[in-house]
Amino acid sequence: MKSEILYPGAFPMVRVELADGEHIKAESGAMVACSPTIDIESKMEGGFLGALSRKFLTGEKFFFQTLRASRGAGEVLLAPTVPGEIVVLDLDGINEYMVQKDGFLAGADGVTIDSQMQSMSRGLLGGEGFFILKMSGKGMLLLNSFGAVHKIELKPGQEYIVDNSHLVAWSTTTTYNIEKATSGWVASFTSGEGFVCRFRGPGLVFIQSRNPGGFGAWVRQFIPVSE
Amino acid sequence: MTASTPNALCFGEEFPANGTPCLVHVEGHGLTMTFPSDREAGESRSESVPFSELTVSAGGLDHDQLVVTWSAQTGQRTLYLKNPDVIRAFRQAAPGHLTKPLERAAKQVRQVRQRRRIVWSIAGGALLASVLGLWFGSDLLVGLAVDRIPVGWERKLGESAYHDFLAQHDVVKDGPSVAAVKEMIHRLAGQIPDNPYAFDVTVVKSDVVNAFALPGGYIIVFTGLMKKAESPEEVAGVLAHELNHVLQRHGLERIVKQLGFVAVVSIALGNPPGLGGVMKQLGIELMTLKFGRAQETEADVTGLQLLYRARIDPSGMITFFQRLAEKDEGRVEWLSTHPMSIARADRLKTQLAELPKQSTEPFTFEWAKVRASLDTPGGVP
Ligand SMILES: [Zn+2]
Repeated sequence: MKSEILYPGAFPMVRVELADGEHIKAESGAMVACSPTIDIESKMEGGFLGALSRKFLTGEKFFFQTLRASRGAGEVLLAPTVPGEIVVLDLDGINEYMVQKDGFLAGADGVTIDSQMQSMSRGLLGGEGFFILKMSGKGMLLLNSFGAVHKIELKPGQEYIVDNSHLVAWSTTTTYNIEKATSGWVASFTSGEGFVCRFRGPGLVFIQSRNPGGFGAWVRQFIPVSE
Repeated sequence: MTASTPNALCFGEEFPANGTPCLVHVEGHGLTMTFPSDREAGESRSESVPFSELTVSAGGLDHDQLVVTWSAQTGQRTLYLKNPDVIRAFRQAAPGHLTKPLERAAKQVRQVRQRRRIVWSIAGGALLASVLGLWFGSDLLVGLAVDRIPVGWERKLGESAYHDFLAQHDVVKDGPSVAAVKEMIHRLAGQIPDNPYAFDVTVVKSDVVNAFALPGGYIIVFTGLMKKAESPEEVAGVLAHELNHVLQRHGLERIVKQLGFVAVVSIALGNPPGLGGVMKQLGIELMTLKFGRAQETEADVTGLQLLYRARIDPSGMITFFQRLAEKDEGRVEWLSTHPMSIARADRLKTQLAELPKQSTEPFTFEWAKVRASLDTPGGVP
């Protein structure tokens, strides 16, 4: 399986080449185009209850699509719904990542997707729901963001504070606490939530340069309100 | 598992921030890490550290990994162990000074796992209960979900359907008929303690014999129904019944039942935005909402009590229901959602008989004049 990011920047698309018999799991709706040798199957990752819990508790789509090169080698073009960067991670079987519900675009078949429950306080205060996706296994993982992706590298014990709504993915070797932003943080962080995550290394934290909620609020002010 | 697959992540000054996968071997004197080479051809590199230099703790996102640290010549080294086989081997081989911290770490892992199991079983149980509950139509769960819907949403839901409906119909803006139904609603609403609904009533010009109330307290009365009524008490009877559908939140109960547990789960988890979308789709379907038999009985019974408290003669309600059912003329749509039965009339009669006799107060308008105004086109835009 080979991937190439086309048109890097705000409106990228990713081309994934599949050898005969290979397949890739994609967020439903991510497929833009594909070779005629590719079959599209809708599959409930994690079984019925897993899919249900994802659907209702993370708001994530019920199905992932499986794109399978069942009739010979071919390629698929995938793109996210929102404008923003696509990041390719190569899972080595040891490194695992937690991914925010909207951050998943596609994964090779060796990648395992689990819905994981955040601890009560994290889920409640974080405003991101109780479930996030845990990516483990081996193979290519495609993440998408709203805006550009910025990678923060944390050494053991190193700390960094991130506005919750800008989070995309983070290593499971990190730990984090949700903290109520002080008034100073509220001024500089625009989420309006007033909560930030204090991450502690080692590991990687991927953040997005734009905040979907903030953008939505910005757009709404231009929509005339009836009445 | 092949012996050469990395089973741990090693962190250090010269390693990348997400660590370097390595293969950890537990030996008699300590640990040996083998780092696979970057290139296929290159040879792998090994490092050993004696137990005496190690400190251990629990770490990682869920505090379920064993974190081993020591100082190497190149700086601080941190090893994240997750593989249960390696952790077990480590615990068996580790000397005395590590036993206590290891126990502490193991205890922490157990606690995290246990806590997660508990949370999962609660969440799973709740999900299962809602699935099963709705499968068997458990009114208790529906009731619980409905209780969590604020009146504000209910109003929004009813309001959009109300405006949609009125936009498609001839509204009687003012005149005796509007004044009459407003007076009825005012009399009835005045007898409802702690009423959270500001009832809004509109008369619609139509020969259809119907009246209904939308969630949130929006009431529509058709002129056809008013023409059929021989006294204002008869109309007030229908209104009292409809008002009680609103007060008992029957419309919401139906919606929750029809939407199934999607709505229940999202309401239970406090996810109003998702529900708003579904509610909008319901739109005009609300008009044809058919209530269950138990809900109709409840609306009848509480409607009769409401009439009584408002000193409006409740026998008008009963005679009107009966007359509507007997005469088979025109489109009596109200009957399609409110099938009349002998049992229903009898129940109302029995109930009325049980109430102590009291004098009634007439309305301030003349019903004959109100009815006469219905035939003139006055007040219609
Ligand atoms: Zn009814």
